[in-house]
Amino acid sequence: MIGFLHPWVLAGLAAAAIPILLHLLARREPPTVMFPAVRYLVSTTREHQRRLKLQNWLLLFLRTMLIAILVMAAAGPTAPMSGVPGHVPSALVLIIDNSPSSGTMAGGSPILANLVTAARSVLARATPDDALWLVAADEIPRRGDAAGLGELLDDLAVSPRRLQLGRAISLAGEVLASEKRPGEIVVLTDLQATALSPAEPRAPLLIGRPTTPPPPNTGIGRIETGTQPWSSGRGRISVVLVGDSAGSVPVSARFGDRPPRQALGRVGGSVVLTLPGVPPGWWTLTTALDPDEFRHDDRRVGAVRVAPVARVRWDSTSRFLAAASEVLASNGRILPGREISLGRLAQGASVVQPPNDPAQLGALNRALAARGVRWSYGNLSTDLAFTDSGAVVGRQRVVRRYPLQSAGSGRTGVLATVSGAPWIVRDGSVILLGSRLDPAWTDLPTSAGFMPFMDMLLNRLARGEAALGQGTPGDPVPLPDLVTAVRQGEQEWRVEGGGMFQPPDAGVFYLLAGRDTVGAISVNPDPRESRLTRASDAQARQLWNGARLESLRDVADDAFSSASRGDLRGPLLWLALIAGLAEMGLASGWRRRV
Amino acid sequence: MDRSDVRSGRARLDLLDPLEVSKLGGLELITEGVVEGFLSGLHRSPRRGFSVEFAEHRMYQPGDELRYVDWKILGRNDRLYVKQFEEETNLRAMIVFDTSRSMAWTGSPSTVLPKLAYSQRLIAALALVLIRQRDATGLITFDDDVRSVMPPRARLSHWRQLLGTLAAVEGGQGTAAEPALKRVVRQLRRRGLVVFVSDLLLDQSLALKALRFLRHRGHQVLVLHIMDPAEVALGGPNEARFEDPESRTAVIIRPRDWAGAYRDTVRAVVSEWRLACRRHGIVYQRVTTDTPYGVVLRAALTPPSRSA
Repeated sequence: MIGFLHPWVLAGLAAAAIPILLHLLARREPPTVMFPAVRYLVSTTREHQRRLKLQNWLLLFLRTMLIAILVMAAAGPTAPMSGVPGHVPSALVLIIDNSPSSGTMAGGSPILANLVTAARSVLARATPDDALWLVAADEIPRRGDAAGLGELLDDLAVSPRRLQLGRAISLAGEVLASEKRPGEIVVLTDLQATALSPAEPRAPLLIGRPTTPPPPNTGIGRIETGTQPWSSGRGRISVVLVGDSAGSVPVSARFGDRPPRQALGRVGGSVVLTLPGVPPGWWTLTTALDPDEFRHDDRRVGAVRVAPVARVRWDSTSRFLAAASEVLASNGRILPGREISLGRLAQGASVVQPPNDPAQLGALNRALAARGVRWSYGNLSTDLAFTDSGAVVGRQRVVRRYPLQSAGSGRTGVLATVSGAPWIVRDGSVILLGSRLDPAWTDLPTSAGFMPFMDMLLNRLARGEAALGQGTPGDPVPLPDLVTAVRQGEQEWRVEGGGMFQPPDAGVFYLLAGRDTVGAISVNPDPRESRLTRASDAQARQLWNGARLESLRDVADDAFSSASRGDLRGPLLWLALIAGLAEMGLASGWRRRV
Repeated sequence: MDRSDVRSGRARLDLLDPLEVSKLGGLELITEGVVEGFLSGLHRSPRRGFSVEFAEHRMYQPGDELRYVDWKILGRNDRLYVKQFEEETNLRAMIVFDTSRSMAWTGSPSTVLPKLAYSQRLIAALALVLIRQRDATGLITFDDDVRSVMPPRARLSHWRQLLGTLAAVEGGQGTAAEPALKRVVRQLRRRGLVVFVSDLLLDQSLALKALRFLRHRGHQVLVLHIMDPAEVALGGPNEARFEDPESRTAVIIRPRDWAGAYRDTVRAVVSEWRLACRRHGIVYQRVTTDTPYGVVLRAALTPPSRSA
């Protein structure tokens, strides 16, 4: 669409009427000249009259067009045009993908350096009238002029956060939505295939990506530490390798500063390492690979809880509880004892399930109240419902349950929910189950997750601990209710239980309830970052309609191309010159012929 | 230059600009001056017409053949007379003068005489030359009808009457040459000379028909096409309404745009007249009103074989 730098000049288009007005004015009666030889004039004009009429109309058209063209040229017309140096004031969102994969070394420097160079080239083409934003992996649009954003680029480092390109493009579209200037989104990325997600660009989209293939990579995708807590004896971990490298690589793992254990592993497989026993407590497990071009995924951490197994007294009348307890006991995960009472409310730590007979519910509620527990059982509900998947329990069918009612003002202590309503709660050393662990109440006892659930319930939850969490840098992680602080090394963040915590970097973050460590969040890079394989241009175009892809070297030339509006003054002046020459030629040539 | 120069014949008025000449005196004076100048420039008489049958004497004029000098009179009176014979006086000339309104026009009054005034002087001079040759000369004036008729006479006094008629002529109405040319037939019963002086802004076919008829009757016919220079080269304001003073026909044009085409049209018209006249043995002469009279007289009085 044609735009104008000085649209007010277009008012001068009224001047295009001058030839017509002159023509109309000229139609007034001219002076009369007595001329005897009029018959010769009549004879002369009769032969040329038709041509003269056509000629006059053509001249009128040319003169009108000439004025209109000159006025339009004075108004500074511009039109969308690629490959031209100038552009009209426009809004540009520059997305630079400094996700972990941008730290991959290529040609002696990280890809991010190439992305930053390309970004500087794009910004160099900006004018003071442009509105510019910079979006990095933190997904915060930062507005500034070219110089200001250049300074941001100076400080830009590889982020531990993963950047979902589709989400970033949508964000850029929202940023541009309020802009009246023509907008454009420029994405500078390594175009990692796993980072692509669908998006509907709201503005012309230009992608700049490397043209050289990425190096092969091996990274640690996951650490499986098995059921926790570990006993004081040795433990086994499984390290899952991901990436696109074919060779074997050595994998090492160690607790804290203790000597590491090593083994060889391959991408797609897992390496099992037996670690020596360590004293009870919370341990940071570090696994590592030898350095390669992509260093970010060569190290992965986890939290391991080492503690003696719980001593449990279980209710032998509850068939499934008793069976599970016997299995755990036979595997050494619990010992018979009086530390935890399973099934009934007792003096110490208790895991309480509702009675089979509703008539006994009142007595149980009174006993709970007498114990100081602020939760009680409500009326029986037989509506079919499902548990909400979480760290404690997965999705399970629930057909009978007693809604758990809090006597306090809040809902602290909720460990699991059914359709948003508390299903497993903890208050002090008492855990209340909303349903009996019986197939007549819920499918949980007959599911594969029952034994791990029972292990966690007895060894961790009943002891006041929280489930171990996982997270990625920058992504919010929900905190258990009773957590008051999060600590990593010497750094500690005060938090509100039940809220969210955004780990800034990779590492193990311990959750504190008062002075007690009740859990941990293992924060590691997204394992999808380890797959450096790039998406094809066709894949990108399929996901992002209308996207143009350029090499990082050439992307700046195409930047602002959607807003790149060629100056049409030159062509218009040429056109005016042609029209003027045509007018002169037509008029003089015609006069010569006449 | 003054009147004494004109009277003494020192001035060659026949070769001067007609407008300048017209400022030197009245019709008679300048006509005589023109004719004197014209005749003094000739090496021989423009008309022969001498016969063996003596008619009368007249003063010798430069250019007369010496064999016709009456030596007896020279011996008696010491004056040069030449003998004129009957045949000379037999040439009868009739000048047909278009006095229509279009003839009263000039494109530039300050520099060019109107066609009518120019023609008056030209006709007077022509008549004087003819009468001095003892050729009986008459005059018919016409516009849309015949206005005056003077039968041909060879006396000098007749020339003065002719001058009076010419001086009284004013621009008339439209142009209809056919009746005037038909009147010539009545006036010239024997073969003679017909001089048709007009701007030819008339019905060409009718005029040619009448001229052809005269030619058919054995008359020599001379057509003097009088044109104003402004009629030859179109000029004027940027745009103008050009109106015919006779028919009131008008056309609005830009002269600058049409000058070339108009010039071509005029050429074509003149060429058409010339060809049509030549085809019938009529002598055609285009005369612009800035042409010295002597030039026109010389062209007009040169035998047809030369002027063609």
